[in-house]
Amino acid sequence: MSSKLLWRGLLIAAVVGLAIFSAYPLQEKLKLGLDLRGGIHLVLQVEVDDAVRSETTKDIDRLLQEVADAGLEGVTANQTSSSSFEMQGVPQGRDREVGGIVSEYMPGWNWQRRGDLLAFKMEIANLNEIENLAVKQALETIRNRVDEFGVADPLIQRQGMEGDRIVVQLPGVDDPERVKKLIKNTAFLEFRLVTHPPGGGGVASREEITAHYGGQIPSSIEILTGSIRDDQGRAIGQQFYAVEKRTVITGRDLKTARPGVGEFNQPVVNFYLTHEGGKLFAEATGANVGKGLAIVLDGNVVSAPNIRSRIGDSGLIEGSFTRQEVEDLSTVLRSGALPAGITYLEERTVGPTLGQDSIRQGLRAGVIGLSLVVLAMLLVYKGTGLNAIVALILNIILIFGALAYFGATLTLPGIAGIVLTIGMAVDANVLIFERIREELHHGRTVKSAIDAGFGKALSSVMDANITTLIAALFLFQFGTGPIRGFAVTLSIGILASLFTAIFVSRWIFDVVLSRRRRVDRLSI
Amino acid sequence: MEFFQNTNIDFMKYRKHFVLISIALLAISVLEVFIQKSLNVGIDFAGGTQLTIKFSDKPEVDELRDVVSAAGVRDAQIQRFGAEEADEVIIKTATVAGNEEGTQAEVVQALDERFNGESAGGFDLNRRGRDALASLLLESDPDRVVAQDPEVARQRYEELAEAILEQRRVNGLLESWDEVAGVAGVSNEVRTALERQTYLGEFAVLGSENVGPQIGAELRRKGILAVVSSLLGMLIYIWFRFELRFGVGALVAVTHDVLIVLGLFSMAGFEFNLTTIAGFLTLIGYSVNDTVVVFDRVRENLRRSRREPLVETMNKSLNQTLSRTVLTSGTTLLAVGSLLLFGGDVLRGFAFIITVGVIVGTYSSIYVASPFALLWEKWFGSERGRQSPRQSPA
Repeated sequence: MSSKLLWRGLLIAAVVGLAIFSAYPLQEKLKLGLDLRGGIHLVLQVEVDDAVRSETTKDIDRLLQEVADAGLEGVTANQTSSSSFEMQGVPQGRDREVGGIVSEYMPGWNWQRRGDLLAFKMEIANLNEIENLAVKQALETIRNRVDEFGVADPLIQRQGMEGDRIVVQLPGVDDPERVKKLIKNTAFLEFRLVTHPPGGGGVASREEITAHYGGQIPSSIEILTGSIRDDQGRAIGQQFYAVEKRTVITGRDLKTARPGVGEFNQPVVNFYLTHEGGKLFAEATGANVGKGLAIVLDGNVVSAPNIRSRIGDSGLIEGSFTRQEVEDLSTVLRSGALPAGITYLEERTVGPTLGQDSIRQGLRAGVIGLSLVVLAMLLVYKGTGLNAIVALILNIILIFGALAYFGATLTLPGIAGIVLTIGMAVDANVLIFERIREELHHGRTVKSAIDAGFGKALSSVMDANITTLIAALFLFQFGTGPIRGFAVTLSIGILASLFTAIFVSRWIFDVVLSRRRRVDRLSI
Repeated sequence: MEFFQNTNIDFMKYRKHFVLISIALLAISVLEVFIQKSLNVGIDFAGGTQLTIKFSDKPEVDELRDVVSAAGVRDAQIQRFGAEEADEVIIKTATVAGNEEGTQAEVVQALDERFNGESAGGFDLNRRGRDALASLLLESDPDRVVAQDPEVARQRYEELAEAILEQRRVNGLLESWDEVAGVAGVSNEVRTALERQTYLGEFAVLGSENVGPQIGAELRRKGILAVVSSLLGMLIYIWFRFELRFGVGALVAVTHDVLIVLGLFSMAGFEFNLTTIAGFLTLIGYSVNDTVVVFDRVRENLRRSRREPLVETMNKSLNQTLSRTVLTSGTTLLAVGSLLLFGGDVLRGFAFIITVGVIVGTYSSIYVASPFALLWEKWFGSERGRQSPRQSPA
């Protein structure tokens, strides 16, 4: 064997060795897509408009406060959209004062007089900033929640740099409903004083409360509801509570929350307040011993226990919770409230059973396809067919090697891509072998026919593969998860087949020829 | 074994007849897909919710439809999925305006109430996850281990929950308490506690997908863009590598293939989804690939004998590449054919596209691409174009 042949052989051995090293053992090294291993893929949209709206509401409150402090009486405001409002009752001559207040306390707002009104509109830069912040904060909150969930390699990512969408991928999750609830939970916690029934607890009907107030509920009070549930967590009825609109403390005052057990061994959430929150809470509970305290989560009363004594910087939330609900509630309380609501735009959940079926079927199709192609190659090209088979098997090794090496994900369409590559990879071999046959028919010697075959077929082989690569490229651009997996395996397969059909297959011919001084016949 | 050695078939002789056949096929496809609009568009593009559900007993499709529509979810499509004995169905519901989040919750609740009767709404061992089960066991503590060491007890119940759910994963559905009791580590007490606090639902949700109207519309737009731009990409590549007339020939051939396969795909009733787009883009690549090999030979032969009319050169080239064309189509067919037969329901539509596409693509490389290159030559060609194969005739 000449040294050139030896070097080429070593190069091939090195490439194949690297592929085997990268991919072995396959079960550990190969990253399976969600469609094969099971899991949940969510695309969610942060309702940034909510965040803008609440920011606007806050700004209006602040402006009214400042305007009143400046001695302007009877000024009111009316929010006209999430990012605009109108002020009534500012006399014509005092615009300048209002302008001063706005530029000092509310930069980021434009305003102009329109008849009797002052029309305010949020500046675009400010609007974008609020929206951007809301998405970032939502991302952070969701990440905290998922981290507590203990999922192995989760993916939580903003879609695009500017967008209001977040992609969440959690492999191996077996309870998608719970995950969806956990992520979506705005977890807005409030503690509010109960005005009726007097000692806490609830009443059976709304009318009972209305009757208590003589048909007219005071404007500082509202009626909230909470559900009654059985020991398996099923809602079996509703209760009504009259509570103050003003909150004692909210979730923001929480330092942390943990699951625990109450005095009857029932699941509860223990919470610990910040220094500031603790002071507020102690004052309020101290002044209201004997009254009810409603624990309100996202507008629903979880429970309304009786305040027995002044409570300091920690306490517990009771309700008819199951143990898991207590765990989830602690998680969302710890991770903080979401800055805005969330809508699921896309959900794809694949259970592990479906994924395993897919792998099994894909594998079966691959093995059958491979055997048939191998058989066909032997039948058509006899001895030379072995050459194509070696190239084909190396090709498959290289595909798995490259997938593992680059950390690409194997998906179900990806498996289809590999099966397809098995069929198409021999194309390059066929092009070359057909050309060799032709040259042999023209009376060339074996060696020169092989030379000519490889030389002349090269441009066809390149053209044919580049067109498929172009299609794969567009597919990659288009696709998400599974489809991308297909584009990746197809592209790798094509590149690998160029290497095996042109480089490896040629080397095998050369090695075989170099063994013999004269070659008269080629088994083709 | 050697096929088609030194063949001399006059492919171009009957080209007009084949053009008529192609036009007829195209007309049928266009009628099927664009006028009748019979294409079964999946939730990826139409938006909607799709649930894959395994039942313990084979459900009646009509009954399922009634249950779903009674829940206020209209226009549900119900079809069997997987092997006959698997008792699996797919329930597809259309998107409702303004509802991005889909109907899976309503459908599952309706099925729960219908099939699980009294137990509905409780703890379904066939639908809840490991953490929930571990928490439940820890709370009821049937083996009385919490008092000894809460941490050890937690770990023990987590492992037990995992083992029980592994059994569910293997079978897809837990059908009897004996099956649960057979899991290693499940004591009589655990079984009793589970029987009391949980139930074995009559179905399990194997997969659940929802594509909101927003995403559906985006995927539609991106899908069309991907197909159109890859077609243009092909045209430009061939134009660059060969000549415009070949590029046009290849483009016409590949469009022809895509349309005809789309028509057949629709008639076969497959669902048009994301994987379908992958199938069609692959078909575009494959079909052009096939055509390019022929054109490559034409170019080579043109260089060699410049005086020969283009028709003759094409005939010769087609004959020379015939063996290769048939062989690679054959091996590709062997591979995708096994995918079609053994690859499972999810990939069947994809495999169909490639299988039929390979056949139509092979035909079009011979009877569409070359005649069109000829036609283009006749309409817009000049002698100049003939003489220098690299030069664009336009």
